[in-house]
Amino acid sequence: MTDAIVLDEVTKRFGGIAAVDTLSLSVPSGSIYGFIGPNGSGKTTTLRMIMHILLPDEGTIEVLGSRDTGAARDQVSYLPEERGLYKKMTVRRLLRYYGRLKGRSLAEVDAAIAEWMPRMDLPGVLDRQIETLSKGMAQKVQFIAAVISKPSLLILDEPFSGLDPVNAQVLKDAVLEMRSRGATVVFSTHDMGTAEKMCDRIFMIFRGRKVLDGSLNQIQEEYGADTVRVRTAGGAGVLSGIPEVDSVNDFGQLQEVRLKGDPQAFLKHLSARSDVYRFEVTRPSLQDIFVRIARPQEQEQADRRQETGAA
Amino acid sequence: MTKILIVAQSEFATLVRSKAFIVTLILMPVIMGASVFIMRMTRDATDTNQRRFAYVDRSGLVGRVLEAVAEVRNQTAATDGLARFEPVAVSPVGRSNDDLRLELSDRVRRKEIFAFVEIPPEIVDPDSSSEIRYYSDHPTYQALPDWVQVTVNQAVLSERFRAAAVDPALVARLTKPAALGSVGLFERDDSGAVRAGEEVDEFRAVGVPAAMMVLMFIVITASAPQLLNSVIEEKMNRISEVLVGSVAPFELMMGKLLGGVAVSMLLAAIYLAGSLGMAYYYGYARAVTPVMAAWFLLFLVMAVLIFGSMFIAIGAACNDLKDSQNMMTPVMLFMMVPVFTWGAVLRAPEGTVALVLSLLPTAAPFLMLLRIALQPGPPLWQVLLSVTLMVLTSVAAVWAAGRIFRTGLLMQGKSASISEMIRWVRQG
Repeated sequence: MTDAIVLDEVTKRFGGIAAVDTLSLSVPSGSIYGFIGPNGSGKTTTLRMIMHILLPDEGTIEVLGSRDTGAARDQVSYLPEERGLYKKMTVRRLLRYYGRLKGRSLAEVDAAIAEWMPRMDLPGVLDRQIETLSKGMAQKVQFIAAVISKPSLLILDEPFSGLDPVNAQVLKDAVLEMRSRGATVVFSTHDMGTAEKMCDRIFMIFRGRKVLDGSLNQIQEEYGADTVRVRTAGGAGVLSGIPEVDSVNDFGQLQEVRLKGDPQAFLKHLSARSDVYRFEVTRPSLQDIFVRIARPQEQEQADRRQETGAA
Repeated sequence: MTKILIVAQSEFATLVRSKAFIVTLILMPVIMGASVFIMRMTRDATDTNQRRFAYVDRSGLVGRVLEAVAEVRNQTAATDGLARFEPVAVSPVGRSNDDLRLELSDRVRRKEIFAFVEIPPEIVDPDSSSEIRYYSDHPTYQALPDWVQVTVNQAVLSERFRAAAVDPALVARLTKPAALGSVGLFERDDSGAVRAGEEVDEFRAVGVPAAMMVLMFIVITASAPQLLNSVIEEKMNRISEVLVGSVAPFELMMGKLLGGVAVSMLLAAIYLAGSLGMAYYYGYARAVTPVMAAWFLLFLVMAVLIFGSMFIAIGAACNDLKDSQNMMTPVMLFMMVPVFTWGAVLRAPEGTVALVLSLLPTAAPFLMLLRIALQPGPPLWQVLLSVTLMVLTSVAAVWAAGRIFRTGLLMQGKSASISEMIRWVRQG
C-alpha cells in the first residue's frame, strides 16, 4: 500500500519555539488515521502543514505522491476546527463555491449536493442562510463542503466536537463511507473512545514530538498488561496502601489500577481487605495511555505554580 | 486563472448583495440630490426675516436716502426671497455719544432692533477718513452691513456730485459699467462654416468635472473598503484556512480584487448611464463624452487596484474590525487628499499644485480626472506620466498586498503592526 502522506523530519517554529519538532510520519492510503494529543501540542499545526496552509521550516512533506503539496490541492479537503463557513451565504451557494474551487464543474457539484444532503439528514436547508442553522447542522454542512469535491484525502480537525450523539453518529458513518470509497481520512480528536473505535492507526503528538504511532493493538502492547479493572465492596478507599498499586483511575463503580508489582499478589492483598466482585487483568485504554504521557506536564506545571507561589 | 475567476465571481455576488452596496446604490443619489437642493435653497433664500435697525445720521444727508432705498427694496423683498430692511432714525441730541451707543446696544440686546449704524458728520467730505460704523451682535450676518455700505456710498457719491454741481443723471449715464459675457472659442463645423462657440456654461465647465470626481469618490468608497470586511470575515471565521486549502493565497487575493473592480464597474456603469440620461434630458448631451467615460473607467480600475490592495492587506493583517478601523485611518486620509485639495485644482488647473497633486498616484484617479474634464485639459505628457505612475503603483500595491496577505491571512492572535507588515513585504 502506498502512503497518502509522508512527513520526513518536519519542524515548524513560531517565534523560536518548535510547535512541531523533527516529526516523521506515514499515513497509509485508504486508512483512517487519528491524531491525538493535548491542547497546544502541535496537532493543528501538523494538519495545516499537510494542507500546505503553513510551510515547514525544515523537513519535507509529501501528499498523494507530490512534494509540492499545492499540486495535490484539488484532491485534498480540509475541515477546520472552527466553522469555516460564510454566515450570510446560503448553503447552496457555499457548497457550489467550495466545490468549484476544487476544480469541479457546477454539474458535478450539484450532483454531489443532491447525494449528500439527504445522507446527512439535512432536508430543505439548501436555500437557508448559514447563520440560521444550528451548530450541528452547520457542522454537517461543513463536512459536506469538505467531501463535495470527492477528495482522495480528507483532513478533519476535531470533526465530532460539540455534536449530540445522533449527529456525531451521522458524521462517523459519513467518515466510514468516505473510507469505503477509497479516501484516506485523517482526523484529530480529544475523544479517545472515538479514536479507539474508528481509527486504523493512531498517532499522538506531545510538545511537538511524536510519542505514539501505530495501531491500537501495537500501542497497547507497548504499554504492557499492567492494568487491572476492579470492582470491590470497599470502592477506591481499600486500594490505598496496597504495595503493588502504582496509580488509580477511579470511575466510581469501577477502578482502573496500574500496578507496579505482580497482579496475583495484588489480588491477595485486595481480597484480604474487601469482597472483590470483579477483577480483570487488561491492557491500558488509550485514555490511560494518553494521561500517562500527558500528566507529567500537568504535574510539572503544578510544581512550578507552587514554586512561584512560595517565592 | 480559472480559480481567480471563481473567487472573483463569488466576491462580486457577495458584494452586490451587501447592504453597503444597496445603500450606496439607492441612498447616495438621493443624498447628493438632496444636498444640491438644500444648497440651492440656502443660497437663494438665506433669510427672509425682517431686519429693523437704528441709524444715527450725524451728517444729516444720508438717512433720507437710506429710508427711500429701503422702501423700494422692501416692496419686492418677499418675492425676491430677501429680508426686509427697516431703518429707524435716532436723534443724537441730548446725550453723550457713549450714552447713546450704550442705549442702542441695550436695545439690540433686548432684540428690539437687529443692529445700529452711525454715520459720521464728515462722511461726504472726500478728504475725511472717518468710517460708517455698524454695531451688531450678529457678526456673521453680512447682508445688512453690505447693503448699508452700498446704499450710504451711493448717497455720499450723489451728494458729492451735487456739491460739485454735476448732474447725478449724467454721472449715472457716464459711469454705467459694460457687461462681460463668457464665450467659448470659435470652431469650424462639419459643413465648413465658421461657428461661434457656445456661451460658456458654468455647469458644464465646472459642474460636470466636479460631478465626475465625486462619482469616482462614491464608487471607490462603496467598493474598496468592502474588500477589507470580506477578508476580515474570512479570517475571523477561519474560512481562509479552507480557501487556502483550495487556492493559492495570491489567486485568492487577485480574485477578490477583480471582484471589487467588477463591483465598482457595475456601480460606475449604473451612475454613468443615469448621469448621461439626465445630461441628455437637460440638453447637456455633449458634456460627457465617450472619451471622458473611458478615462473615468481607466482611472477607476487603477484606484480600485491601489486602494483595494491596501484594504485587503489591512484585512489580512488584523484580527478584528476594531483594529482594522484604526489601520484604515491612514488609507482613508490618502483618499481624502483630493477632497481637501480639489478646490485648488479647480481654481488653477494648470498650476504647480494641481500638477503635483494630479501626479500623486493615490490622488491621480480623482484629480487628474478632474483636470482632464476641465477645459482645455492638461498636456498629454502629464496625463501619460500620471497613468504610468498609477500603473506602477498599482502593480507595487498588488505585489506588496500579496505578500502581506499570504503571511497575515492565517495569523491568529494579535493584529500585526505597520512595522510587521513592512517586514512581511520585505521578507515575503
